[in-house]
Amino acid sequence: MTALESGPDVATGSSLIPTLPGSAYTDPAVFTAEQERIFEPAWACVALASDLDKPGAFQKVQVGRESVVLVRGRDGAIRAFLNVCRHRGAQLCTEESGALRRNLQCPYHAWTYDFTGKLVAAPNLTSMPDVDRVEHGLHKVHVTEWLGYVWVCLAEQPPSFDDEVRAEVTGRLGTPAAIDAYDVGRLALGRRITYDVAANWKLIIENFMECYHCATIHPELTAVLPEFADGYAAQYYVGHGAEFAADAQGFTVDGRAGEQRLPGIADDQDRRYYAITIKPGVFVNLVPDHVIVHRMVPLAADRTKVVCDWLFAPDAVASGRDLGASVELFHRVNEQDFEACERTQPAMSSRAYRAGGVLVPSEHHIGLFHEWVQQRLA
Amino acid sequence: MGPEMIHVCSLADLPRGSARRLPLRPPVSVFHTDDGEFYAIDDTCTHQDASLADGWLEGCEVECPLHAAIFDLRTGEPDGMLAREPVRTHHVVVSNEAVYVVLSGTEQLDAAS
Repeated sequence: MTALESGPDVATGSSLIPTLPGSAYTDPAVFTAEQERIFEPAWACVALASDLDKPGAFQKVQVGRESVVLVRGRDGAIRAFLNVCRHRGAQLCTEESGALRRNLQCPYHAWTYDFTGKLVAAPNLTSMPDVDRVEHGLHKVHVTEWLGYVWVCLAEQPPSFDDEVRAEVTGRLGTPAAIDAYDVGRLALGRRITYDVAANWKLIIENFMECYHCATIHPELTAVLPEFADGYAAQYYVGHGAEFAADAQGFTVDGRAGEQRLPGIADDQDRRYYAITIKPGVFVNLVPDHVIVHRMVPLAADRTKVVCDWLFAPDAVASGRDLGASVELFHRVNEQDFEACERTQPAMSSRAYRAGGVLVPSEHHIGLFHEWVQQRLA
Repeated sequence: MGPEMIHVCSLADLPRGSARRLPLRPPVSVFHTDDGEFYAIDDTCTHQDASLADGWLEGCEVECPLHAAIFDLRTGEPDGMLAREPVRTHHVVVSNEAVYVVLSGTEQLDAAS
């Protein structure tokens, strides 16, 4: 098990290192720069692929400053397009999700696109034979699927998915095989809760990365994961999963047994909790019988939507068994965390926080996140 | 001399479930249905200018790609929801692995001459 430095900062010899200044959490100009330079060039996890269950199923998602439409084609492939008609710019889809019967049609002048984005019809189109139907098709957005999720990237040349996304998971778990053992793409949605959080997205990431707060605000979580009361998060060590309490039968709100352990996981993954941050907007939690995936959608400097999915073995979901005790544990953790973030957000504009605050040694790895943010903004 | 047969395309270029648009005045489209039938109608929807050859062929009906007006390929009659006027129907001849259309009106004209 590899630990980061746990004592005073090597460079300064100080126990405390600075956070970002308060303005990093409040300034609309900073937020716009983050949208442009962090969220739009990155791979964004935008939808559970199984939610797009048949040809014509669509979802409208927000990536950075852009609205993007996902649609499953007749060939079964999911494609993504900017949600903008090539004619006069009206938004094609205004509903969050639904099923398209034949095509994507602009409600303004009825320019009509097939599920590959090609312009297939428009009023008077046949009398404009010089209009190339592919060239005037919808703007395509790069798409890939991993862990059962649809990931899109707005960059013209997207970064390597392996280097940007898989490497974060491998870096946390130690090996690429560790997450494969959970076979996340096979799991079924047991529950989804969407949180509208009145806080900057970085406060939510920072909260997720540290466990210094766990003993104070997460009584149910620390009851199941006693080592969290010491303040060292699962994200502090490479390859380390927090061990369940001896008296916890499962990862549930009251320690009662959960579902059957997932078939692929190794013995040393049983009765352990792993947490991964995939910057800039995804958190994955792995426990023996389910997987929790959080997706963040920053909406403003002080507002972030977080969509949380609880994924279980398909037979567990199909059985109709009550998954409530499993869901309730992390739902409470989420509510506790987001309340803390919302408590923090208003103070970010105080003169008391103009120069920022401090990180204690068990939070020093958040400094690496701050460096990452500043490199991307530079 | 028989009625004028306008060459559309080779049979191989009009597989079942597809349509071909002929840039006549007015344009005409020829359909080969999933059941193997051939039909020809005026190509332009009578509701708004759109090509029915770009529409959705189902059974012996075609749905306009713009506003989903439906025309019966056998009669040219609309479903009456948006398009109220029928389209003309024409006669299709398949001969020697090629598809031809005979425009309505011209056969009577030829028969009379």
